Amino acid sequence: MRLNVFGGVLAVLAFAALIVLYSSLFTVYQTQQALVIRLGQPVRVVAEPGLHVKVPFIDSVIDIDKRILDLEAPPQEVIASDQKRLVVDAFARYRINDPLRFYQTLGSITGANSQLSILLNSALRRVLGEVTFTHVVRDQRAELMARIRDLVDHEAAGYGIQLVDARIRRADLPEQNSQAVYQRMQTERQREAAEFRAQGAQRAQEIRSRADREVTVLVAEATSKSEQIRGEGDATRNQIFADAFNQDPDFFGFYRSMQAYEAGLRANDTRFLLKPDTNFFRYFNNPTGKLTPPPAASAAPAR
Amino acid sequence: MPWTNQGGGGGPWGSGGGKGPWGSGPQSSGPTPPDLEEILRRGQDRLRRVLPGGSLGGKGFALLALAAVALWGFSGFFRVEPDELGVVLRFGAVVREVQPGLNYHLPYPIETVLTPRALRVNKIDIGMRQVEDGRRSASREVPEESLMLTGDENIVDVNFSVLWKVKPTGVGDYLFNIQNPEGTVKAVAESAMREVVGRSEIQPILTGARQTVETAVQDLMQRTLDHYASGILVQQVQLQKVDPPTQVIDAFRDVQAARIDQERAQNEAQTYANRVVPEARGRVAQITQAAEAYRQQTVAEATGQTSRFLKILEQYKKAPDVTRERMYLETMERVLGSSNKYIIDTHQGGQSVVPYLPLTGLPQPEQQRGQSAGGQQ
Repeated sequence: MRLNVFGGVLAVLAFAALIVLYSSLFTVYQTQQALVIRLGQPVRVVAEPGLHVKVPFIDSVIDIDKRILDLEAPPQEVIASDQKRLVVDAFARYRINDPLRFYQTLGSITGANSQLSILLNSALRRVLGEVTFTHVVRDQRAELMARIRDLVDHEAAGYGIQLVDARIRRADLPEQNSQAVYQRMQTERQREAAEFRAQGAQRAQEIRSRADREVTVLVAEATSKSEQIRGEGDATRNQIFADAFNQDPDFFGFYRSMQAYEAGLRANDTRFLLKPDTNFFRYFNNPTGKLTPPPAASAAPAR
Repeated sequence: MPWTNQGGGGGPWGSGGGKGPWGSGPQSSGPTPPDLEEILRRGQDRLRRVLPGGSLGGKGFALLALAAVALWGFSGFFRVEPDELGVVLRFGAVVREVQPGLNYHLPYPIETVLTPRALRVNKIDIGMRQVEDGRRSASREVPEESLMLTGDENIVDVNFSVLWKVKPTGVGDYLFNIQNPEGTVKAVAESAMREVVGRSEIQPILTGARQTVETAVQDLMQRTLDHYASGILVQQVQLQKVDPPTQVIDAFRDVQAARIDQERAQNEAQTYANRVVPEARGRVAQITQAAEAYRQQTVAEATGQTSRFLKILEQYKKAPDVTRERMYLETMERVLGSSNKYIIDTHQGGQSVVPYLPLTGLPQPEQQRGQSAGGQQ
């Protein structure tokens, strides 16, 4: 009986000890850090993961993420310093580096996200509003992102948050402006295409006209040369004739006339009206060949 | 990384022989899990202390408790698949990493295990989504991701894929350092691609600079992800489609067509030139040869005629009068022999005959034979 009572007390004590043990131990997960609060007053931050001890019942523990957390800001329209509009979609990555201040000022990740969104948006507007469109898109993107990060980081430090990075995911033109860009691209390409075609036509024309010129020149030169050759031929001919005929011009006249008569008065289209008292007919009436009147031979060709 | 041929426990970082970057596999040294038997013995001891005497009912209870403890102990066995790595946490803190195969950790709540697919290569598509449509896999465009501004204020349509995996030494970082690894990779990829494209002009992006863009994006992504200590390795950035936006793609194609037109026009002209010039050279040869022929012909004829004349002249000089008379008569003979002749004696009233003779109306040679009254010879 006494033994049983003793056993019962032992069991109760053991149970109580278990409860105390359970209440005085807590685990910190690898991804988290813990804030130990004693009766509403924060006493320490446990950053090391693993099993830890606290004062039972009095201390309470709040787990706070220590990973790098996401912040996605919704796209928003920003006006650059040259009045061009941009739709900017940014995101940030942050880490809670002061759990106590974080817990006191924001309390939860959701609260942090909404607060950081506001900070990020205002930083975006401020930084991008100071520079031109081309700076945002082309020249200074990395620098601008670094400036936005520093700006937000500076302000977020008050919330126990360290901003690891802020990046512009998209910086695009609004839809209406995109249409204008498309039209410009289209006209640019059309201009380019027209230029190519015109250049092609130009070169083709050049090639053709060069060929035509070459042809004309070739033919002209050939003609010139040919005239020269023909002239040489004619000259040689004249010289040959002159040399030969000059030996007896009188006989040449007779000889050439005979040839001309024969060639010029062709058969069948020539009719002669002849007088019987010409030199040709001098034996016609008189076998001695003596003409009664002096001969005045004349042949009158008629056609 | 050859993450596919994971036989038993032989990971790509040595087969648990103590060479791996984490010191050793769970089998050898390291934080050795407490001996099972010892636990059981301790449990029995504790039971014996709590329940002294050891009645028959107590013995049965003890056996039951023993079985429960054994079951609890056995719940610590776990399997790591070939594409996974195991990370064992003791009270939430990392104590060791294990290779694929059968492993043991102290039962819950002392130790837990995470088995991420850390050896697998992951792929993220940006600008399109793979849609499984029955058996075919089609891709759907996501224009808000793929349309981006270039440095010369044009818009280009870029689809790309990122292949990434967990760094061999970065599984802890991957699991515990960032909240949303996949989303982070994607966001960083988009941001990096736009940054790189924004620095370039549209023409090189569309034509030659794919390799450059891929490398630049990969470098930028890796730098950013390393800055986050994310334990992620960007293996490759693959540009899939780089086109002008659909609204203007026709205009871009027309530029290509125009280039071809340009070539074609030139080729046609060259063809014309190649045809016309040789033809002209042919004509040149013809003209020249004709002229040459004329010259030679003329000279030859002249030479021939003169030599004939000279021969005759030679003979003529021997007997000028007779030869002249003979030549005259022979010529007249030939000339008059083949022509129509009318002989009119002017002394005997010939004057009066002429007016009656209609010269134009003279009959043709065939009909006049009878009429001409002995006029023919």
